[in-house]
Amino acid sequence: MMKELLKKNKVSLIIIVIYASLMVVQRDTAFLALSNSTYYLIEMAQILPVIFMLTVAIDVLIPKDWIVKRLGEKSGLGGAVLALAFGSLSAGPIYAAFPIAKTLHKKGASIGNVVVILSAWAVIKVPMLANEAKFLGTDFMAVRWVLTVVCIFVIGLIMEKRRIKIEDDEVQDKQVITVKQAYCIGCTACEKGMPEVFGMKDGKAYVIQPEIKMENLDEQAKKQLMSMAKKCPPKAIEING
Amino acid sequence: MDIFTIGFWLVGGILFFLSVIKNKEKSKEAMKKSKGMMKNMIGDIIGIIFMIGLILTFIPPETIEKVLGSDNTLLSSFVAALVGSITLIPAFVAFPLVGSFVDAGASIVPGVAFLTTLTMVGVVTFPLEKKEFGTKFAVTRNLLSFGAAISIAILMGVIL
Repeated sequence: MMKELLKKNKVSLIIIVIYASLMVVQRDTAFLALSNSTYYLIEMAQILPVIFMLTVAIDVLIPKDWIVKRLGEKSGLGGAVLALAFGSLSAGPIYAAFPIAKTLHKKGASIGNVVVILSAWAVIKVPMLANEAKFLGTDFMAVRWVLTVVCIFVIGLIMEKRRIKIEDDEVQDKQVITVKQAYCIGCTACEKGMPEVFGMKDGKAYVIQPEIKMENLDEQAKKQLMSMAKKCPPKAIEING
Repeated sequence: MDIFTIGFWLVGGILFFLSVIKNKEKSKEAMKKSKGMMKNMIGDIIGIIFMIGLILTFIPPETIEKVLGSDNTLLSSFVAALVGSITLIPAFVAFPLVGSFVDAGASIVPGVAFLTTLTMVGVVTFPLEKKEFGTKFAVTRNLLSFGAAISIAILMGVIL
Protein backbone atom coordinates (compact mmCIF):
# COMPACT_ATOMS: atom_id res chain seq x y z
CA MET A 1 0.00 0.00 0.00
CA MET A 2 2.68 2.46 1.09
CA LYS A 3 4.92 1.40 -1.77
CA GLU A 4 2.09 1.84 -4.24
CA LEU A 5 1.33 5.30 -2.89
CA LEU A 6 4.96 6.32 -3.25
CA LYS A 7 5.17 4.97 -6.78
CA LYS A 8 2.01 6.77 -7.81
CA ASN A 9 3.19 10.12 -6.48
CA LYS A 10 6.81 9.84 -7.54
CA VAL A 11 6.85 13.27 -9.19
CA SER A 12 5.27 15.03 -6.21
CA LEU A 13 7.66 13.28 -3.88
CA ILE A 14 10.73 14.45 -5.81
CA ILE A 15 9.41 18.01 -5.73
CA ILE A 16 8.76 17.89 -2.00
CA VAL A 17 12.32 16.65 -1.46
CA ILE A 18 13.72 19.50 -3.61
CA TYR A 19 11.71 22.10 -1.69
CA ALA A 20 12.66 20.60 1.67
CA SER A 21 16.38 20.64 0.84
CA LEU A 22 16.09 24.18 -0.53
CA MET A 23 14.45 25.24 2.72
CA VAL A 24 17.53 24.04 4.54
CA VAL A 25 20.18 25.37 2.14
CA GLN A 26 18.61 28.50 0.66
CA ARG A 27 15.52 29.59 2.50
CA ASP A 28 14.91 32.66 0.35
CA THR A 29 15.05 30.71 -2.91
CA ALA A 30 12.54 28.21 -1.60
CA PHE A 31 10.12 30.98 -0.66
CA LEU A 32 10.63 32.68 -4.02
CA ALA A 33 9.79 29.41 -5.78
CA LEU A 34 6.70 29.00 -3.62
CA SER A 35 5.49 32.50 -4.39
CA ASN A 36 6.22 31.94 -8.10
CA SER A 37 3.84 28.97 -7.92
CA THR A 38 0.89 30.90 -6.52
CA TYR A 39 -0.15 32.43 -9.84
CA TYR A 40 -0.52 28.93 -11.26
CA LEU A 41 -2.33 27.60 -8.21
CA ILE A 42 -4.92 30.37 -8.59
CA GLU A 43 -5.19 29.62 -12.30
CA MET A 44 -5.79 25.95 -11.51
CA ALA A 45 -8.46 26.73 -8.93
CA GLN A 46 -10.22 28.95 -11.46
CA ILE A 47 -10.18 26.44 -14.29
CA LEU A 48 -10.61 22.94 -12.85
CA PRO A 49 -14.24 23.38 -11.73
CA VAL A 50 -15.16 24.42 -15.27
CA ILE A 51 -13.32 21.41 -16.66
CA PHE A 52 -15.28 19.20 -14.29
CA MET A 53 -18.59 20.69 -15.46
CA LEU A 54 -17.59 20.47 -19.11
CA THR A 55 -16.57 16.81 -18.98
CA VAL A 56 -19.94 16.01 -17.41
CA ALA A 57 -21.76 18.05 -20.07
CA ILE A 58 -19.86 16.34 -22.89
CA ASP A 59 -20.71 12.98 -21.41
CA VAL A 60 -24.41 13.70 -20.96
CA LEU A 61 -25.39 16.17 -23.68
CA ILE A 62 -23.41 15.12 -26.75
CA PRO A 63 -24.51 11.84 -28.32
CA LYS A 64 -21.77 9.39 -29.19
CA ASP A 65 -22.83 9.25 -32.85
CA TRP A 66 -22.43 12.99 -33.16
CA ILE A 67 -18.85 12.90 -31.86
CA VAL A 68 -17.97 9.93 -34.06
CA LYS A 69 -19.39 11.75 -37.08
CA ARG A 70 -17.96 15.20 -36.34
CA LEU A 71 -14.65 14.38 -34.64
CA GLY A 72 -14.14 10.71 -35.50
CA GLU A 73 -11.67 9.13 -37.89
CA LYS A 74 -13.78 9.93 -40.92
CA SER A 75 -14.55 13.54 -39.99
CA GLY A 76 -11.79 14.84 -42.28
CA LEU A 77 -10.86 18.52 -42.50
CA GLY A 78 -14.22 19.57 -41.03
CA GLY A 79 -13.42 17.59 -37.89
CA ALA A 80 -9.97 19.16 -37.64
CA VAL A 81 -11.45 22.67 -37.99
CA LEU A 82 -14.03 21.91 -35.30
CA ALA A 83 -11.29 20.58 -33.01
CA LEU A 84 -9.23 23.70 -33.72
CA ALA A 85 -12.13 26.02 -32.88
CA PHE A 86 -12.89 24.09 -29.73
CA GLY A 87 -9.30 24.25 -28.49
CA SER A 88 -8.85 27.93 -29.40
CA LEU A 89 -12.01 29.10 -27.68
CA SER A 90 -11.27 27.35 -24.40
CA ALA A 91 -9.43 28.85 -21.47
CA GLY A 92 -6.81 27.44 -19.14
CA PRO A 93 -3.43 25.69 -19.26
CA ILE A 94 -2.74 22.58 -21.34
CA TYR A 95 -3.24 20.12 -18.49
CA ALA A 96 -6.85 21.35 -18.25
CA ALA A 97 -7.32 20.05 -21.79
CA PHE A 98 -6.30 16.50 -20.82
CA PRO A 99 -9.60 15.43 -19.16
CA ILE A 100 -11.63 17.07 -21.93
CA ALA A 101 -9.62 15.42 -24.70
CA LYS A 102 -9.82 12.08 -22.94
CA THR A 103 -13.57 12.29 -22.52
CA LEU A 104 -13.99 13.17 -26.20
CA HIS A 105 -11.68 10.34 -27.24
CA LYS A 106 -13.64 7.83 -25.19
CA LYS A 107 -16.76 8.95 -27.03
CA GLY A 108 -15.20 8.50 -30.45
CA ALA A 109 -12.98 11.48 -31.31
CA SER A 110 -9.99 10.41 -33.41
CA ILE A 111 -6.36 10.64 -32.28
CA GLY A 112 -5.65 13.33 -34.87
CA ASN A 113 -8.45 15.52 -33.57
CA VAL A 114 -7.41 14.92 -29.96
CA VAL A 115 -3.94 16.20 -30.91
CA VAL A 116 -5.47 19.23 -32.66
CA ILE A 117 -7.57 20.07 -29.58
CA LEU A 118 -4.60 19.73 -27.23
CA SER A 119 -2.28 21.79 -29.44
CA ALA A 120 -4.84 24.48 -30.22
CA TRP A 121 -5.72 24.67 -26.55
CA ALA A 122 -2.05 25.24 -25.73
CA VAL A 123 -0.90 27.56 -28.49
CA ILE A 124 -3.54 29.56 -30.29
CA LYS A 125 -5.97 30.82 -27.72
CA VAL A 126 -7.89 33.95 -28.63
CA PRO A 127 -6.86 36.13 -25.64
CA MET A 128 -3.25 35.18 -26.27
CA LEU A 129 -3.51 36.26 -29.90
CA ALA A 130 -4.71 39.72 -28.84
CA ASN A 131 -1.78 39.96 -26.46
CA GLU A 132 0.65 38.87 -29.17
CA ALA A 133 -0.69 41.44 -31.67
CA LYS A 134 -0.30 44.14 -29.05
CA PHE A 135 3.36 43.46 -28.31
CA LEU A 136 4.64 42.02 -31.58
CA GLY A 137 2.37 43.48 -34.23
CA THR A 138 -0.59 42.13 -36.16
CA ASP A 139 1.56 40.81 -39.04
CA PHE A 140 3.73 38.82 -36.67
CA MET A 141 0.70 37.37 -34.93
CA ALA A 142 -1.15 36.54 -38.17
CA VAL A 143 1.81 34.80 -39.82
CA ARG A 144 2.60 32.81 -36.68
CA TRP A 145 -1.07 31.84 -36.37
CA VAL A 146 -1.29 30.55 -39.95
CA LEU A 147 1.96 28.61 -39.70
CA THR A 148 0.97 27.15 -36.33
CA VAL A 149 -2.45 26.03 -37.56
CA VAL A 150 -0.84 24.29 -40.55
CA CYS A 151 1.70 22.58 -38.26
CA ILE A 152 -0.98 21.47 -35.80
CA PHE A 153 -3.00 19.88 -38.62
CA VAL A 154 0.11 18.15 -39.95
CA ILE A 155 1.02 16.82 -36.49
CA GLY A 156 -2.53 15.54 -36.03
CA LEU A 157 -2.44 13.89 -39.44
CA ILE A 158 0.93 12.24 -38.79
CA MET A 159 -0.22 10.84 -35.45
CA GLU A 160 -3.43 9.62 -37.02
CA LYS A 161 -1.62 7.92 -39.91
CA ARG A 162 1.04 6.38 -37.69
CA ARG A 163 -1.82 4.84 -35.71
CA ILE A 164 -0.52 6.07 -32.37
CA LYS A 165 -2.88 4.80 -29.73
CA ILE A 166 -3.93 6.39 -26.49
CA GLU A 167 -3.07 4.10 -23.65
CA ASP A 168 -4.46 4.59 -20.25
CA ASP A 169 -2.14 3.85 -17.37
CA GLU A 170 -5.00 3.35 -14.95
CA VAL A 171 -6.48 0.45 -16.85
CA GLN A 172 -3.13 -1.16 -17.46
CA ASP A 173 -2.11 -0.92 -13.85
CA LYS A 174 -5.21 -2.62 -12.61
CA GLN A 175 -4.48 -6.26 -12.07
CA VAL A 176 -7.31 -8.60 -12.90
CA ILE A 177 -6.23 -11.51 -10.74
CA THR A 178 -4.47 -10.91 -7.44
CA VAL A 179 -3.49 -13.05 -4.50
CA LYS A 180 -3.73 -11.06 -1.30
CA GLN A 181 -0.43 -11.95 0.28
CA ALA A 182 -1.55 -11.16 3.81
CA TYR A 183 -4.37 -13.69 3.61
CA CYS A 184 -2.68 -16.54 1.74
CA ILE A 185 -1.90 -19.49 3.99
CA GLY A 186 0.23 -21.27 1.39
CA CYS A 187 -2.04 -24.31 1.02
CA THR A 188 -0.98 -24.68 -2.66
CA ALA A 189 -4.54 -25.61 -3.70
CA CYS A 190 -4.62 -22.96 -6.44
CA GLU A 191 -1.17 -23.87 -7.71
CA LYS A 192 -2.18 -27.52 -8.03
CA GLY A 193 -5.52 -26.63 -9.62
CA MET A 194 -4.26 -24.09 -12.16
CA PRO A 195 -0.47 -24.26 -12.43
CA GLU A 196 -0.62 -22.13 -15.59
CA VAL A 197 -1.97 -19.19 -13.57
CA PHE A 198 -0.67 -19.59 -10.03
CA GLY A 199 2.79 -20.32 -8.72
CA MET A 200 4.32 -20.52 -5.23
CA LYS A 201 6.99 -18.16 -3.93
CA ASP A 202 8.30 -18.07 -0.35
CA GLY A 203 5.40 -20.22 0.86
CA LYS A 204 2.73 -17.95 -0.66
CA ALA A 205 0.80 -18.14 -3.91
CA TYR A 206 1.27 -15.50 -6.62
CA VAL A 207 -0.04 -14.79 -10.12
CA ILE A 208 2.57 -15.86 -12.68
CA GLN A 209 1.48 -13.34 -15.32
CA PRO A 210 0.24 -10.23 -13.52
CA GLU A 211 -0.81 -8.69 -16.85
CA ILE A 212 -3.22 -11.56 -17.62
CA LYS A 213 -6.68 -10.36 -18.77
CA MET A 214 -10.04 -12.08 -18.40
CA GLU A 215 -10.88 -11.69 -22.10
CA ASN A 216 -7.76 -13.66 -23.00
CA LEU A 217 -8.96 -16.70 -21.09
CA ASP A 218 -11.33 -19.24 -22.60
CA GLU A 219 -14.70 -20.00 -21.02
CA GLN A 220 -13.51 -23.13 -19.26
CA ALA A 221 -10.51 -21.42 -17.75
CA LYS A 222 -12.70 -18.56 -16.58
CA LYS A 223 -15.09 -20.94 -14.83
CA GLN A 224 -12.23 -22.86 -13.29
CA LEU A 225 -10.70 -19.64 -12.04
CA MET A 226 -13.94 -18.48 -10.46
CA SER A 227 -14.45 -21.76 -8.61
CA MET A 228 -10.78 -21.70 -7.60
CA ALA A 229 -11.27 -18.27 -6.02
CA LYS A 230 -14.31 -19.58 -4.18
CA LYS A 231 -12.52 -22.71 -3.01
CA CYS A 232 -9.48 -20.85 -1.69
CA PRO A 233 -9.70 -21.47 2.07
CA PRO A 234 -8.79 -17.95 3.29
CA LYS A 235 -10.43 -16.30 0.21
CA ALA A 236 -7.13 -14.71 -0.76
CA ILE A 237 -7.78 -14.78 -4.52
CA GLU A 238 -9.36 -11.62 -5.87
CA ILE A 239 -10.78 -11.31 -9.38
CA ASN A 240 -11.77 -7.99 -10.95
CA GLY A 241 -13.51 -7.88 -14.29
CA MET B 1 -10.34 36.41 -13.59
CA ASP B 2 -10.08 37.66 -17.17
CA ILE B 3 -13.09 37.97 -19.40
CA PHE B 4 -12.34 34.71 -21.20
CA THR B 5 -12.18 32.69 -18.03
CA ILE B 6 -15.49 34.24 -16.96
CA GLY B 7 -17.01 33.31 -20.32
CA PHE B 8 -15.64 29.80 -19.93
CA TRP B 9 -17.30 29.58 -16.51
CA LEU B 10 -20.59 30.78 -17.95
CA VAL B 11 -20.56 28.29 -20.83
CA GLY B 12 -19.45 25.44 -18.57
CA GLY B 13 -22.04 26.32 -15.96
CA ILE B 14 -24.92 26.55 -18.42
CA LEU B 15 -24.00 23.26 -20.12
CA PHE B 16 -23.63 21.55 -16.78
CA PHE B 17 -27.03 22.87 -15.68
CA LEU B 18 -28.59 21.60 -18.91
CA SER B 19 -27.04 18.15 -18.37
CA VAL B 20 -28.53 17.86 -14.91
CA ILE B 21 -31.95 18.93 -16.19
CA LYS B 22 -31.80 16.58 -19.13
CA ASN B 23 -30.78 13.47 -17.27
CA LYS B 24 -30.15 13.54 -13.57
CA GLU B 25 -29.08 9.91 -13.25
CA LYS B 26 -26.66 10.03 -16.15
CA SER B 27 -25.23 13.30 -14.86
CA LYS B 28 -24.61 11.76 -11.49
CA GLU B 29 -22.77 8.90 -13.10
CA ALA B 30 -20.77 11.29 -15.30
CA MET B 31 -19.88 13.37 -12.24
CA LYS B 32 -18.60 10.27 -10.51
CA LYS B 33 -16.45 9.42 -13.52
CA SER B 34 -15.17 12.98 -13.83
CA LYS B 35 -14.44 13.14 -10.12
CA GLY B 36 -12.36 9.96 -10.43
CA MET B 37 -10.45 11.39 -13.36
CA MET B 38 -9.78 14.65 -11.53
CA LYS B 39 -8.71 12.88 -8.36
CA ASN B 40 -6.27 10.88 -10.41
CA MET B 41 -4.74 14.04 -11.88
CA ILE B 42 -4.86 16.59 -9.09
CA GLY B 43 -1.77 15.35 -7.25
CA ASP B 44 0.28 15.52 -10.43
CA ILE B 45 -1.10 18.93 -11.34
CA ILE B 46 -0.14 20.40 -7.98
CA GLY B 47 3.26 18.77 -8.33
CA ILE B 48 3.64 20.34 -11.77
CA ILE B 49 2.70 23.76 -10.42
CA PHE B 50 5.34 23.70 -7.70
CA MET B 51 7.81 22.42 -10.29
CA ILE B 52 7.01 25.46 -12.44
CA GLY B 53 7.69 27.65 -9.40
CA LEU B 54 11.13 26.04 -9.04
CA ILE B 55 11.94 26.38 -12.73
CA LEU B 56 10.90 30.04 -12.79
CA THR B 57 13.23 30.62 -9.87
CA PHE B 58 16.20 28.93 -11.49
CA ILE B 59 15.54 30.07 -15.06
CA PRO B 60 14.35 33.66 -14.52
CA PRO B 61 13.38 36.00 -17.41
CA GLU B 62 16.93 37.42 -17.30
CA THR B 63 18.32 34.06 -18.42
CA ILE B 64 15.82 33.95 -21.26
CA GLU B 65 16.86 37.47 -22.25
CA LYS B 66 20.47 36.33 -22.47
CA VAL B 67 19.50 33.45 -24.77
CA LEU B 68 17.31 35.59 -27.01
CA GLY B 69 19.93 38.32 -27.34
CA SER B 70 22.78 36.04 -28.37
CA ASP B 71 24.63 36.83 -31.65
CA ASN B 72 24.61 33.27 -32.92
CA THR B 73 21.04 33.02 -34.26
CA LEU B 74 21.16 29.32 -35.10
CA LEU B 75 22.42 28.23 -31.71
CA SER B 76 20.27 30.68 -29.79
CA SER B 77 17.14 29.54 -31.67
CA PHE B 78 17.78 25.97 -30.65
CA VAL B 79 18.52 26.91 -27.05
CA ALA B 80 15.48 29.21 -26.98
CA ALA B 81 13.31 26.33 -28.19
CA LEU B 82 14.74 24.12 -25.43
CA VAL B 83 14.21 26.76 -22.75
CA GLY B 84 10.66 27.29 -24.03
CA SER B 85 9.99 23.57 -23.73
CA ILE B 86 11.07 23.48 -20.11
CA THR B 87 9.58 26.70 -18.75
CA LEU B 88 5.94 27.63 -18.62
CA ILE B 89 5.93 31.39 -18.15
CA PRO B 90 2.63 33.23 -18.61
CA ALA B 91 1.90 34.65 -22.06
CA PHE B 92 1.56 38.17 -20.70
CA VAL B 93 5.20 37.97 -19.61
CA ALA B 94 6.49 36.15 -22.69
CA PHE B 95 5.06 38.44 -25.38
CA PRO B 96 6.43 41.73 -24.00
CA LEU B 97 9.77 40.00 -23.38
CA VAL B 98 10.11 38.83 -26.98
CA GLY B 99 8.61 42.11 -28.21
CA SER B 100 11.31 44.17 -26.53
CA PHE B 101 13.97 42.12 -28.31
CA VAL B 102 12.39 42.43 -31.71
CA ASP B 103 12.03 46.18 -31.18
CA ALA B 104 15.70 46.36 -30.27
CA GLY B 105 16.56 44.81 -33.64
CA ALA B 106 17.33 41.21 -32.65
CA SER B 107 16.41 38.36 -35.02
CA ILE B 108 12.85 37.12 -34.55
CA VAL B 109 13.77 33.47 -35.12
CA PRO B 110 14.85 32.63 -31.54
CA GLY B 111 11.87 34.57 -30.18
CA VAL B 112 9.37 32.64 -32.28
CA ALA B 113 11.01 29.32 -31.43
CA PHE B 114 10.74 30.23 -27.75
CA LEU B 115 7.11 31.41 -27.93
CA THR B 116 5.98 28.31 -29.80
CA THR B 117 7.67 25.65 -27.68
CA LEU B 118 6.64 27.56 -24.57
CA THR B 119 3.06 26.48 -25.06
CA MET B 120 3.20 23.51 -27.43
CA VAL B 121 5.96 21.43 -25.84
CA GLY B 122 5.61 20.55 -22.18
CA VAL B 123 8.55 18.88 -20.46
CA VAL B 124 7.05 19.66 -17.06
CA THR B 125 3.60 18.39 -17.95
CA PHE B 126 5.10 15.35 -19.70
CA PRO B 127 4.66 12.91 -16.77
CA LEU B 128 0.96 13.75 -16.60
CA GLU B 129 0.51 13.57 -20.38
CA LYS B 130 2.26 10.20 -20.37
CA LYS B 131 0.03 8.93 -17.58
CA GLU B 132 -3.17 10.08 -19.25
CA PHE B 133 -2.40 9.28 -22.90
CA GLY B 134 0.47 6.78 -22.88
CA THR B 135 4.20 7.10 -23.51
CA LYS B 136 4.08 6.77 -27.28
CA PHE B 137 1.44 9.47 -27.65
CA ALA B 138 3.19 11.93 -25.34
CA VAL B 139 6.66 11.41 -26.82
CA THR B 140 5.46 11.66 -30.43
CA ARG B 141 3.33 14.74 -29.82
CA ASN B 142 6.06 16.62 -27.98
CA LEU B 143 8.80 15.71 -30.46
CA LEU B 144 6.66 16.66 -33.47
CA SER B 145 5.70 19.91 -31.74
CA PHE B 146 9.35 20.73 -31.09
CA GLY B 147 10.17 20.17 -34.76
CA ALA B 148 7.15 22.25 -35.75
CA ALA B 149 8.27 25.12 -33.51
CA ILE B 150 11.71 25.20 -35.15
CA SER B 151 10.14 25.10 -38.63
CA ILE B 152 7.70 27.88 -37.76
CA ALA B 153 10.56 30.00 -36.42
CA ILE B 154 12.70 29.54 -39.54
CA LEU B 155 9.75 30.23 -41.87
CA MET B 156 8.86 33.36 -39.91
CA GLY B 157 12.46 34.53 -40.28
CA VAL B 158 12.19 34.07 -44.06
CA ILE B 159 8.73 35.63 -44.46
CA LEU B 160 8.99 38.67 -42.18
